[in-house]
Amino acid sequence: MEEVYVEEFMSPGCVGCPAVKKMLEELKGEFGDQLTVEEVDITVDTTRASQYGVMSVPAIAINGILKFIDVPKKEDLRDALLEEINREE
Amino acid sequence: MPAEKEKRIGVFICHCGKNIAGGLNIRDLVESSKQVKGVSFVAENKFSCSEDGQQDIQKAIHEQKLDRVVVAACSPSLHLMTFQRCGEKAGIEPQFVDLVDIRKWTMHGSPQKTNPEEAFEQSKSLIELAVKRMRLKRLIPMAEIKAEHSILVIGGGVAGLEAGLDLADKGYNVYIVERLPTIGGKMALLYKVFPTNDCAPCILAPKTAYANIHPHITLLTNSEVKSVSGHVGNFNVNILQNPRYVDLDKCTGCGECVEKCPIKVKDEVFSAGLGERKAIYIPYDQSIPKKAVIDAENCLYFQKGVCRLCEKQCPTDAINFDQKANSVEIKVGAIIAATGFDEYDPSPKSEYGYGRYSNVITQFQLARLLDIDGPTNGQLLRPSDGKEPKRIVMIQCVGSRDEKANPYCSNICCMYALKHAQIIKEMVLPKAEIFICFIDMRTVGKGFEEYYRRTRELGVLFIRARPSEIVQNTETKNLSMKVDDPEIGRLLKLDADLVVLSCATVPSSGTQELSQILGVKLDGYGFFKEMHPKLRPVETNVRGIYICGSAQGPKDIPDSIVQAKAAASCADSELRKSKIKIPQSLVRTSQLKKGDK
Repeated sequence: MEEVYVEEFMSPGCVGCPAVKKMLEELKGEFGDQLTVEEVDITVDTTRASQYGVMSVPAIAINGILKFIDVPKKEDLRDALLEEINREE
Repeated sequence: MPAEKEKRIGVFICHCGKNIAGGLNIRDLVESSKQVKGVSFVAENKFSCSEDGQQDIQKAIHEQKLDRVVVAACSPSLHLMTFQRCGEKAGIEPQFVDLVDIRKWTMHGSPQKTNPEEAFEQSKSLIELAVKRMRLKRLIPMAEIKAEHSILVIGGGVAGLEAGLDLADKGYNVYIVERLPTIGGKMALLYKVFPTNDCAPCILAPKTAYANIHPHITLLTNSEVKSVSGHVGNFNVNILQNPRYVDLDKCTGCGECVEKCPIKVKDEVFSAGLGERKAIYIPYDQSIPKKAVIDAENCLYFQKGVCRLCEKQCPTDAINFDQKANSVEIKVGAIIAATGFDEYDPSPKSEYGYGRYSNVITQFQLARLLDIDGPTNGQLLRPSDGKEPKRIVMIQCVGSRDEKANPYCSNICCMYALKHAQIIKEMVLPKAEIFICFIDMRTVGKGFEEYYRRTRELGVLFIRARPSEIVQNTETKNLSMKVDDPEIGRLLKLDADLVVLSCATVPSSGTQELSQILGVKLDGYGFFKEMHPKLRPVETNVRGIYICGSAQGPKDIPDSIVQAKAAASCADSELRKSKIKIPQSLVRTSQLKKGDK
């Protein structure tokens, strides 16, 4: 794929969301232009959350697939991003 | 690195008439979209959602061999399904059709409307992001699951009962959970209902009685929903049945225990604080189930270990002081929240003296006083001295249309003030003078304007003004206030024996907690938030959970019934296909914690 698109599902007041945001900012530093992060506020974009079946935040979708619910370990998140970058079509 | 298969993405920019085209330069947006990586085709439509617009999109999908589509138009909650169906018809998997809202920056009346340059830049970056998302997006794995043929209705008021009965008649197994010891909700306590002045419990009784005997309905009174997990088609619900200390199977509702009970306490729920009940009580005559319940907080046995008179008196040995709370687990395919409303507590409006002056009451309290089965058996008596009031002043919009309390209109207060004025004039105290101080009389509804006229014909006087501070005479407990009447252009001094506040309707207590349990969002006022205020008024952000009645916002009985039927219809549409498709992640949420393939 060479690139990854991360949808970071969050909401205002969500306890775990800042930790995920910080983690993704750090990983952006490692992955550079290969990584695009979009913050999706589920209180605003309810349709997107419902399409993915997001019932709680934080949640992370990578290239359209919901991969994590709750705050993941940074290594697990990095592995998931790498796996997607190296994945064959 | 493996080579990425090139995606062919089409971008369609909607003018939405002048709603978008009037607020930014569409030509420039078309040109900038052509430069985005992965975009093979860009077109503009006057109305993308129109038949012509959709045909143009489908034609382009075929001719340009597109495999992904981004439509830049309006809100996904409004039209995403439209464009996904449009794309599907032309052979594109619905998940590969996306809709982004650029209209919010251009449309008059939109809170986010901005200048054309800003709107262009925002739209440009939103399209770039959506194209990239679509270019890299993989198909969300879907799972097909068997849907439970059962429904949970939370709230046993008129809306919940209507929804539950509709679904039970269709063959679903329905669980109705009610927090109080009886179903019936607020409607059972209103005495009469506008605009027909029908007896409220009489017209409600066919529904409560039918719910009680319906073979497909399980009533869980004195119960609360404690947790919900799962997803549409397969929700797991934990319900806590609080102890009644009375065996429902043995109790006949004869009331002998109530007669013997020595403890009297103020009845805050069923007499609105104006009457008393015993520590063991049956809420009211038409209660369903008509069974006694012990209020442990006031029972002598629970508090001091003495008494047990009810136990000695009960002819069927129904009293059970050892009864414990019972946890019930059920599986349902859908949930309907019909949790109703509470009356606004007007104590913070200190100018009206509610809570300090005993002759200042609320409309709900007045309804209980006027009820022939209420605490005064239908006699309108002042709380301070039990005398009949000669002059009554009603004050509208207390806590409604008020920036310091609730900015919204509570919808029903004008009509219930008219109803009570009519009842007093026609049936209770024909000689009493009644003044209604209002800002606007809002009598929108079938037969409502005629009802308003009839009230005026009965001699009720209307003053378009909000009274100033109410002052109480400490000896007589009479009340007086000043009202600036614009119709006659002078300040009136108004004396009253009784003041009735038409208070706002607010979300019922526990709504916040329930919203967290269900994962359903609340609006800015604390009512359950609908998916779309006009087009999807009973759906929520959680598929399979619906809302109806005053839980969604203030409304009268006919509107609550209509919404209840709508919610029942939505639940039926979802569950009648015995198998439903949902994102696989919902089925195995627990496995996702550490990452999923």
